[in-house]
Amino acid sequence: MRKSGSRLAWTIWFTLCLSLLVVPAANAYIDPGSGSLIFQVVVGAAMAMSLGVKVFWRRITGFFSRRSR
Amino acid sequence: MVDGRVAGSFRDPAGFVFTREGVLYRQVNPRFAEHYDHLMSSGLYQALTDAGLLVRHEEVDVAAHADDAHRVLRPAMVEFISFPYEWCPGQLRDAALATLQAQQLALNHGMSLRDASAFNVQFVASRPVLIDTLSFEILPQGQPWVAYRQFCQHFLAPLALASSVDARLLRLLGVHLDGVPLDLAAALLPGRSRLQPGLAVHLHAHARSQRRHADDAGRAGAGKGDNKVGTKDAPRFSEQAFRGLIDSLTTAVRKQAWEPGESAWRDYYAAKESYSDEAMASKEELVAKFVGELQPRSVWDLGANTGRFSWLAARAGASVVALEMDPAAVEVSWRQVVAGEAPAVLPLVMDLANPSPGLGWGSAERPSLSQRGPADLALALALIHHLAIANNVPLTHVAAWLATLCQWLVLEWVPKDDPMVRRLLASRQDVFDDYCEQGLQDALSGWFDVVQREPVHGSQRTLYLLRRR
Repeated sequence: MRKSGSRLAWTIWFTLCLSLLVVPAANAYIDPGSGSLIFQVVVGAAMAMSLGVKVFWRRITGFFSRRSR
Repeated sequence: MVDGRVAGSFRDPAGFVFTREGVLYRQVNPRFAEHYDHLMSSGLYQALTDAGLLVRHEEVDVAAHADDAHRVLRPAMVEFISFPYEWCPGQLRDAALATLQAQQLALNHGMSLRDASAFNVQFVASRPVLIDTLSFEILPQGQPWVAYRQFCQHFLAPLALASSVDARLLRLLGVHLDGVPLDLAAALLPGRSRLQPGLAVHLHAHARSQRRHADDAGRAGAGKGDNKVGTKDAPRFSEQAFRGLIDSLTTAVRKQAWEPGESAWRDYYAAKESYSDEAMASKEELVAKFVGELQPRSVWDLGANTGRFSWLAARAGASVVALEMDPAAVEVSWRQVVAGEAPAVLPLVMDLANPSPGLGWGSAERPSLSQRGPADLALALALIHHLAIANNVPLTHVAAWLATLCQWLVLEWVPKDDPMVRRLLASRQDVFDDYCEQGLQDALSGWFDVVQREPVHGSQRTLYLLRRR
């Protein structure tokens, strides 16, 4: 059971990886590296969220620093 | 400069660089027309050049070098082309931040950098400037950054190695011309580097992902192509994620600040072991007089330390490259230049006993130091004993090499009874029978005419002004 579960997990992971591969645009002349592309997609949501929080925080601190002036 | 296609310009089918009658041009090939036109019409070119991040160019009406051209550009000339393996950590960091800033501006205009090579950055008046106008493409919607791997290899990995291990590791960029492989960087970095979020993500986890997916491309090639990133059925890489990635890289790069430690060379002038005040004043006066008389356009200061004599030449209006072996001295010099405390000389890390060779394809892609010359004037001040005694290079070899670098030469002769030479000989046998002023004159006579010979008052040293035959 455990063995078939890990095989299923591996199959899902591999299918996901294949689905994330990119067709480089016609004008891409460097190798982006499949591992690097997949990695960006994996961490992309966290990067987007982190930037969102940062911008939001800046707005809050900016609002209070304007008020205190 | 030999007319024709520039040796290092062959990888990108979008265009290339060539020279004609000594003038540098960039050809834009028809296949890249849409992207180049968008760069110019979207306001991005204006924004980048206004910010000093991209080299300015003019569109010119000259014949294409090969086949059909969409446009031929004449970019502003860069005085001296330097390479990342010659930079100090501060220069690589500034180049990295300029690249990321350019990418942010590009995203604001619906474009993106399709490469992030450190070789695409040059220093113009102490500012990092991107020189490849064709690096910008229309943003491919929904796709991750094609140049992410290259950015991490060219900038983040060597910067992390310099700041966490040793600044001399930047020389790895001369061995790995497409940047330091991330698995190598991860193996060399100390365990504590995993505690830095930027390095943990962009180097360590990124390297693991590369290792895990090293074989995926081949396997995917056999599959269908209808569910890949950027198509309607695949997860999309949003623009917010793209901006988050660039912001995260910017934070990671900013954290890689290398502090030069105590360095014997940096304290060279302060210690005043080799020069009295009188000797230093006399030497400065003589060098200033020679530079004033010659009015050179380009000066290479060989063994520049923190650049005291380079400044002197720069103040006389020359474009100065200050070559120094010690990264700490170069870093100090660079910071002074950036802060405006010194004239805009270009300090570079260079071991003159092993100067940059021709590198890359055919050993011609990145020209050697001497191929980037000759300079109008070279300064070889307090250098001869380091080459002839510390490195055992015969004076005849030194003279022949100097002749490949310059038209005019100011050379300081440092005799054996000088304190600095005595120090070099203190721990070794003196096998340098030919190291005497007559030996120097004999060696120089094959290559140079002596125009002036002046004693440095307050020392036993002598300055020679020499003209290449």
